[in-house]
Amino acid sequence: MKVMWYFTHKEILEAWRKHHLLIIGLIFMIFGIESPLIAKILPDILHSSFGSNLVINIPQPTSVDSWQQFYKNITQMGIYVLAIIFSGFMSQEVSQGTLVNLIAKGLPRFIVVLAKFLVAYLQWCGAILLAFVITWGYTAYYFPDNKSPQPLLGLVPLLIFGLFFTALLLLGSTLAVNNYFGFLFAAGSIIALTILNMWKSVQRWNPVALMTDNLRLVQGTEKLAHISPALMLTLGLTIVLVTLTIIIFNHKRL
Amino acid sequence: MTDANFFFDNLPFFIPLIIVELVLMITAIVHIFRHQHYQHGNRWLWLLAVMFIQPFGAIAYFVFGRELE
Repeated sequence: MKVMWYFTHKEILEAWRKHHLLIIGLIFMIFGIESPLIAKILPDILHSSFGSNLVINIPQPTSVDSWQQFYKNITQMGIYVLAIIFSGFMSQEVSQGTLVNLIAKGLPRFIVVLAKFLVAYLQWCGAILLAFVITWGYTAYYFPDNKSPQPLLGLVPLLIFGLFFTALLLLGSTLAVNNYFGFLFAAGSIIALTILNMWKSVQRWNPVALMTDNLRLVQGTEKLAHISPALMLTLGLTIVLVTLTIIIFNHKRL
Repeated sequence: MTDANFFFDNLPFFIPLIIVELVLMITAIVHIFRHQHYQHGNRWLWLLAVMFIQPFGAIAYFVFGRELE
């Protein structure tokens, strides 16, 4: 346990020294501010780009638009920014040989995997929570309506999806031949799952549901129970992926 | 609505947004000037990227440009 704590501590320190914590924090602050801003100015932008001869009536933006922008920003950009930043977190250490000494001195290999997983996941949660709190504040102030009664409920699946996504990155980065493979592996898996989502019968089971159904959860038109199969499957897959990573890392030459 | 009106109407958004982007840019620029070698690219390329591709230039610098220690 003590070893786990030391190695986790080292990982956090490294994330700080490499400026990862700083850029993740700043980027997600930008996402948090941008989402309600875009929702608010979108009608103005449409007006100024189409001029006054625009016939259709653009409805006033509501809190739903703000949350829609938020989930769009996070799931279409935010998670890939995190993926790029985390991409080399295992492969870089293997290729630079920085783990050799630690493991030769008796650091168990599974601790390395678990600590890296934990620290990456904590950064995921921190980043998304930071953006969420900022968007929540602006939304509550600028769009005080009751159209999105459950903002927190939409966030829960996204945080659980983080476990799965981090596990994918970790596996990709452990299998990797270069520092970008982790990113490509995770992004490729998400694209494959998104394509699978075209079949209606798998939608409730697909981990991707955790980042597509958020808005309906926020609006209260869908219950969390509806995607519980996907939640369970995501948690199961995460355990499988992390176990697989430990097995592969145990056999890897450093 | 004029551009200035538009800007001042949304000041509570723009002020924090500008501050955050400036912090990101300045951190990256200071880092670029403190180092001689980069993983990829050279000093001028990164300076231009960080200053003109906001905010992704700075991310790209810290991930792909920053010297490995």
